[in-house]
Amino acid sequence: MGLFDKLFGKKEETFDPNHIFAPMAGQTVPVAEVPDPTFAQGILGEGIAIIPADGKVYAPCNATVDTMFETGHACSLVAENGAEILIHVGLETVGLGGKCFKAQVKNGQKVKKGQLMFEADLEGIKAAGLNTITPVLVCNVDDFASLNSHTGNAVTNDDVVIELSK
Amino acid sequence: MKQFEYTINDPLGIHARPAGMLVKEAKAFADTVVTITKNGTTVKAGQLMKLMSLGVKQGDVVTVAAEGANEDAAIAALTAFFNNNL
Repeated sequence: MGLFDKLFGKKEETFDPNHIFAPMAGQTVPVAEVPDPTFAQGILGEGIAIIPADGKVYAPCNATVDTMFETGHACSLVAENGAEILIHVGLETVGLGGKCFKAQVKNGQKVKKGQLMFEADLEGIKAAGLNTITPVLVCNVDDFASLNSHTGNAVTNDDVVIELSK
Repeated sequence: MKQFEYTINDPLGIHARPAGMLVKEAKAFADTVVTITKNGTTVKAGQLMKLMSLGVKQGDVVTVAAEGANEDAAIAALTAFFNNNL
């Protein structure tokens, strides 16, 4: 037990930099199922999509915030391993002009896996007639040898959804 | 090198959808580098993250430039793209 305390002691958890965790709690589906061709056709990158159960968006890994969109509906991050990750809550949500979203981080800020980055009012988004499905994409997938995604599960921020390898 | 200036009309500016489409348009031209400049900051059109981080909004003037073997075709296609989408 002493050994375990040394390894997994009270210090910060360390994560495999090639593991991307679910930023939101919900159900994961393949990106091809997102009813918007910009995402479904892989134009913005590859990854997964989450049908969120809760509106809080947590950092999927240790990263630096590249752009916290002013409208608060999307955030791009650069992970420790160089992955450029885009989290886009909902479809056409840019049109809400910031309503239903609250950003908690700024451009250039370093975040730790699990840190709250922004929040979405899922009921508000649905009331506006919009879909809350959230693509989570690696935009520079060409910089990696492979991307493995896990879909078809109920996930929280403790579940790995994308694994990259260089 | 050929270039043109464009004032963004779309109230949503260059958000995820047009950014992604712009990246796709720009990459279609082999041997040609396409750049977008806003207020002195220039990014390659093929770099999605950097393009989105420019935060191009309605009313912003951007300069679109293309340099390379297919620059004429690229500028023609991009002019049409901006007119139709932004």
